[in-house]
Order: sequence, then structure tokens, then C-alpha cells
Amino acid sequence: MFFKKSNLFYKIFGTYVIIILLGMMVVGFLVGRQVKTRLMERIEYDLTTYAQMIKQISSKGEIIQNVAQLAKISDTRVTLVDATGKVLADSNKEVSRMNNHLNRPEIQEARVKGRGKSTRFSRTLNVDMFYVAIPVKGGGGGITGYVRLARPLIEIRQSMRELYGLILQSFMIILILSFLIAFIFFSRLISPIEEMEQFTEMLRKGDDPGTLMIGSSDEMGRLAGNINYMVIELRDRVRYADEEKGKLEAAFASMTDGVLVLDNQDKIETFNNSFKTMFRIIRDDILGQTPLEVFRNIDLQNAIDCFKEEQMPVSREITIGGEPGLVFDVNLSSIHGLPESETKTMIVFHDLTHLKKLERMRADFVANVTHEIKTPLTAILGFVETLQEGAIEDKETARKFLQTIRKHSERLNRLVDDLLTISDIELGETRLFFESVSISGIIESALSIVEYRAVNKGLSVEKNVPDELPPIRADRDKLTQILLNVLDNAVKFTPEPGKISITAFNDKADNVIIKISDTGIGVPENEIPRLGERFYRVDKTRSRELGGTGLGMSIVKHLMMAHEGEIKIESRLGKGTTVSLVFPVFHEELIA
Amino acid sequence: MDGKEHTSKIYDRELQEIKENLLYLGGLAEKAIQNAMRSLLERDSDLAREVIDADDRINRLDKEIEERCIDLVALRQPVARDLRFIATAIKINAHLERIGDMAVNIAEKAIPLNEEPPVKPYIDLPRMSDTTQAMIRKSLDALVKEDCDLADEVIREDETVDNLNDQIFRELVTFMLEDPRTIHRALLIMQISKNLERISDHATSIAIMVIYLVTGRNIRHGNRAEKSFQNDI
Repeated sequence: MFFKKSNLFYKIFGTYVIIILLGMMVVGFLVGRQVKTRLMERIEYDLTTYAQMIKQISSKGEIIQNVAQLAKISDTRVTLVDATGKVLADSNKEVSRMNNHLNRPEIQEARVKGRGKSTRFSRTLNVDMFYVAIPVKGGGGGITGYVRLARPLIEIRQSMRELYGLILQSFMIILILSFLIAFIFFSRLISPIEEMEQFTEMLRKGDDPGTLMIGSSDEMGRLAGNINYMVIELRDRVRYADEEKGKLEAAFASMTDGVLVLDNQDKIETFNNSFKTMFRIIRDDILGQTPLEVFRNIDLQNAIDCFKEEQMPVSREITIGGEPGLVFDVNLSSIHGLPESETKTMIVFHDLTHLKKLERMRADFVANVTHEIKTPLTAILGFVETLQEGAIEDKETARKFLQTIRKHSERLNRLVDDLLTISDIELGETRLFFESVSISGIIESALSIVEYRAVNKGLSVEKNVPDELPPIRADRDKLTQILLNVLDNAVKFTPEPGKISITAFNDKADNVIIKISDTGIGVPENEIPRLGERFYRVDKTRSRELGGTGLGMSIVKHLMMAHEGEIKIESRLGKGTTVSLVFPVFHEELIA
Repeated sequence: MDGKEHTSKIYDRELQEIKENLLYLGGLAEKAIQNAMRSLLERDSDLAREVIDADDRINRLDKEIEERCIDLVALRQPVARDLRFIATAIKINAHLERIGDMAVNIAEKAIPLNEEPPVKPYIDLPRMSDTTQAMIRKSLDALVKEDCDLADEVIREDETVDNLNDQIFRELVTFMLEDPRTIHRALLIMQISKNLERISDHATSIAIMVIYLVTGRNIRHGNRAEKSFQNDI
């Protein structure tokens, strides 16, 4: 398993094998050649010596006679050839069956040089033969024949084979040794590498690998040291980056402004929680879509286009969504990523809807106050002027005019009273004297004030207030004012023949509820939430004709808030209105 | 390979650009109706004139989108879904342009109406306009999300608008019978109502095109039962 896995081992061992093989081959080749040459030289020397001896000692006749013996002594094949090449005697073969030998290279060489040699394959003996021939000279100095000695090269072949065998043996031994050396070297080299590999693997997976321990002080040891250093560095940086990211993410998530980030292709890349809350109407799979796909808002798209064109932060006020829509202060700026080309766009949505509403309400309020005060004042001024110009002389007209002036002054007075009341409540300067109040008495007294007017107008009044209702915590006067205002509205806006009913009961949630219903003109559903606004009138002209200041319901709303109560209005246009005043039941022990 | 990839990238961007332009046009049309109706309900004739002026922009964008679509068909030979998208885009484009024209019609009627006292408080008309605007919004949402259910919702809402239109018609006839002086104003309101009703028809057509784009099935000119996509899905 160890070897199968490890490529490195085979690389090391393979290199060894190649080097050894090459070395052995070179040694084998050189030594083999040298040995072969030396052996050949010795054989040649032997044969030449024998041939000279035979030639010197024996005559032709003697040679022919003793050829077998000579061959045996010298351990060669002895051939005697005459000057014409005819074989006279041969130790191995029948002379009569041998052909002319004059053309043999060794004979030819001997004839010319006085000594000849040749190596060739003898078909007769089926082995490489080494031939040496020397000429035999007669008394006149002419060549009379040749003595030729031959010896097969079996010996050399054998020697060579032995030599190669030895080389192969040593090769095998060295191979085994080198395998062992390679293995030792490999294990010493590989174990730290493997350790490092496992270490970095753990690091890559994100586990904490601790510290790398490598004892040696060579390159491996230094490498391990570097890795350890890098790990510490890396850990620090990752921690730092995580912290920074965490801070940014926390800021991003907890921002009250909605943030939207677009990538360089204007696709939505990310957004924060506030954005999600602001546009909860929108589905959450908006990632990867363009703002146009999501909002389909022309102004926003124009702002983005403008930003893209000018590459300058853009700030605009944009209304998003249908009627009435949300108003945002939209800021666009760019985020530069590391690669310069990847410029992202950040869009910050600051919700101005509430602010805008308040702004409008304030403007409305000023306009309304001016208008409301101006109208009676104009009338008063007009009548006073007329009186000054002589109408005062006419007693009858003067009295009528004065009456009108009084009526308008009263209205002005009422208006200022109401305004003072409301601003006192709003500023928290109205002192409310809370006490345990039984509401049936209060309802009775409030109703007695209104009832006369209602009956005069032709309205029937119905009362259904049980006596044993639990007490509530309230300011007696203010509670009366609340009831009066609501009842007053009911009487005002109910045409004859109508009915006003007042009921009271306590519900399971420990509340006392006073319900005042009428069969009046009602309020359009979408205007109900605006009823608490100052000077808000559903039907402006009619309300003023009826003498309202436009502050009644606003006062009720504020007083109810001061009583920790709740006001609920249900209304159907043309059918009537029901106002429910919900007060928490007063528990004596809460104070004690 | 490289060149091909490059080309397909440009092609994808061209398709996306057409979509973006279409949505921009949708946004303009939505805003046009919103403003036209506001000019009527808030008696703001300046706003009405603004709507009439803004139609020029819608018309130009309409032309541009159409040209782009035709160029794309000519140069890229889109197939299957892409081709359906282009075909759908051309039709939706035309519908949106018509919606813009309707908004102009409404604004034009609002100007004379604003100069006279109201016949009666507007009650059904704002409801009708809200529903119609929601229908356009939903049909374009359906296009973005490729959402057949949403498209189907738009198709079903068309009937609400039709009913409101009938209701307004009946009511105005009563007013005209009672007081002949209101006839002129009542007729203008009737036309506005009719325009809203036609806008809702256009929104329905867009929704049908979205269903065609997503499923490849054309349910136009089918009967009501067939129109309800959910019944046979």
C-alpha cells in the first residue's frame, strides 16, 4: 500500500536501477573486451610457439607420421599443407577428403608475411576456430609447405560467459542493496513530506491542525518552520477578516436604512434586513434580478442610469409603490472591489414616508388654522365696518349684526379653546386628575347636555348602560369632554329621522367599552384613519356649517391616549358610524 | 468556441436589454395611468397635461423596442423559447403603448372635468383604477417571474373591472336622467371608465402572452372556462 501510493519511491529506485544498469553495462563491455583480447593473444602465442617447435624439430615425414600425437600434446588440430596447398596431413580429418588449402587466409598471410592467423567458424567442427600457420622452408630457402595449428575458441566463450555471469550476479546484489538504500532514504524523506501533506490537508479543510513538528534542520525542517509561520499568519489574518466582516455585517444588518447592492451588471447581489422589511411586498427571490425587474420604477431606474453615466454619487427623492406609495431618499454610490473593473453599486433607501406625512400635516395645520381663524374674523370685521359706516343708527339691523358678530366671536373663542386644549394635551401640560370613576353617571350627565339638541333635531336617543359596570381610571371632566365630543358629532352628522344609541359593557379582556352609534352620513372607509388629524373634515363645507372646529375628534383621540384607552371607529357611508371607546378596568390594588 | 461563447453572451445581453426596455416601458405606462387618474381625482389639470406630454416618450420607446426585436430576429435567428420571447415582447410592447394612449385619453377627459363641479364623489372609479393598475403591475410581475399563476390571476380580475364599468355606466345613466346638466360630465366619466376597462383588457392580453411565453400554449380567444389556466393545468 505504501509503495503503491508513493510515486516518489519508484522515482528514486528507478533512477538507482538505471544508474546501476548503465554502470554495469559499461564495466561489462570494457572488461569483456579486455579479457577477450588477452585470451586471444595467449592462444595465438601458444599456437605460434607450438608451430615453430613442430617445424624446427620435425621433418615433413615425421610430421605426417606423428600428426595425431603432435595434436594431442599441443592440444590443437595440426595440419600440414604443401606449397601448392594440398593437405598432406591433418590430425582431425581424412586427408583425402580435404580440398586445397592454399586459399585459406592464414596460409596466404603466412606465405606473404612468414606467419598467418585467422578466426573463422569451422563448419566441420561447428565452433569458432583460431588458426595460426607458418611456412616450412626447404634448404634453398623456398617455401615447401605450411604447418597450421588450430584451436577452437570454446575456452574464450566459456570465460566470457563466466565473466558476464559474475557481472549479473553483482548487479543483482547491488540492485537489492540499492533497493534497501532507496527505501531507507525514501522513508526518511517521505515521512516529513507526508506529515506536511496531512497538515496542509487539514488546513485546507478548515480544521485546526496545530503546529507542524519536524525534527530535522535541513530543507525539510526549514520548510516545516515556514509552514508553521504561515499558518499562524494566516490564522491571524482570517480572524481579523472575520472580525471585520462581522462588524460590517452587523452594521449592514442593523441599519435602519434599506441597502441594496448591485453587481457590475446591475443585478441585485445582496440586500439587508431593513430593505426586506421595507419592501415586504416584494418576493425574496430577487437576487440576480435587475432593479427594474423588481421595482419597475421609472424614477429609480433613471437615478441608476444617471449614476452609471456620471459615476458620481446620486441622491434623489423617489416614491416607490402605488398609491399612496412610500417616499424614499435614495442614495447611490459605488463600491470598489479589488479588481478595478468589478465596480458595484450600493443603493441606500432612507424612508421619508413618515417624515413627509408629518411635514404635510404640519403644513396643513398652519393652513387650516389660518383659514379657520380668518373666516370668522373676516365676518366680524365686515359687520363692524358696516356698523361704523352708519348701520349702528338702525337699531334693528345693529342688533342683528351684533348677534352675528357675537356668534362668530364665540366660534373663534371655541376654536382657540380647542386649540389650547389640544396643544396642552400634546405638550403634556394638561394635568389629568385620575380617579376611580363609574361611567354610568358620566354618561348620564354628558347625554343630558346633548339629548335636548338631539330630540329637537328629531333624533331618537337610546341608552343601554348597566349600573353595575366596573369603575375605570379616568379624569372626570376629560371623560365628559370625550363623550360630549363624540355625541356632538353623532348629533351633528345624523340627519332626521335618525337614531343615536349609547351602550356600555365590559368585555372578557377586562375592558369597559362605551359604544356610540348613529345612523348618520358615515365616513368613507379610507378616511377613517385621518379622523384624528387636526382640522380634518370629511366634508369641509358641511362640517363648518354645523359649527364644528375640526378639532373635536383630534381632542378625543389625544384624551383617549392620555387615558391609556383606545378608540375604534367603524363606519359605512350613508349608513352610520359607530365609535367605540375602550377603557381598561380600574383595579384598586394597582395603585396601592 | 471562444468566438461562439462571445456571440452568445452578446445575444443574451440583447435579449436582457429588450426585457429591461419592456419593463421600463411598463413602468412608464403604469406611471401614466397613475398620474392620469390622480389628475382626475385630485383635480390637478397640470398633472393631466404632464401625462399627455409624457406619451411622446412612451411612443419613442415603443418604436425602439420594436426595432430592436426585429433586428434581433433578423440577425440572430432566435429559436424556441427565445423566439417566443421576442414574439411576446413585440405584442406586449404594442399593448403597453396602447395603455399609454389610454392614459392620455383619460388625462384629456380629466382637464374639462376639473373645470366643472363634480357630478358626485368618485367612488367606483378609484376602485376600478386601483384594480386596473394592479392588473398591469401583476401582468408585468408575471412576465418577470414567468409566473403563470399570477398571469391567471390577472385574467380573472378582468371580470371585476368589467363589472365595475357596468356599474358606473348604470349609475351615470341615473344621474343623467335626473339632471340633464350633468350629461356632458357624465359622458366624459363614462369614457374614462371605458378607457380603464380597455386598459384592463390590455393587461389581460399581456397576461395571456406571458402564459404563452412560459408554456407555449396560446389561450387567446378561448372561452372563459378555458381561459382559467388553473382549471386545466
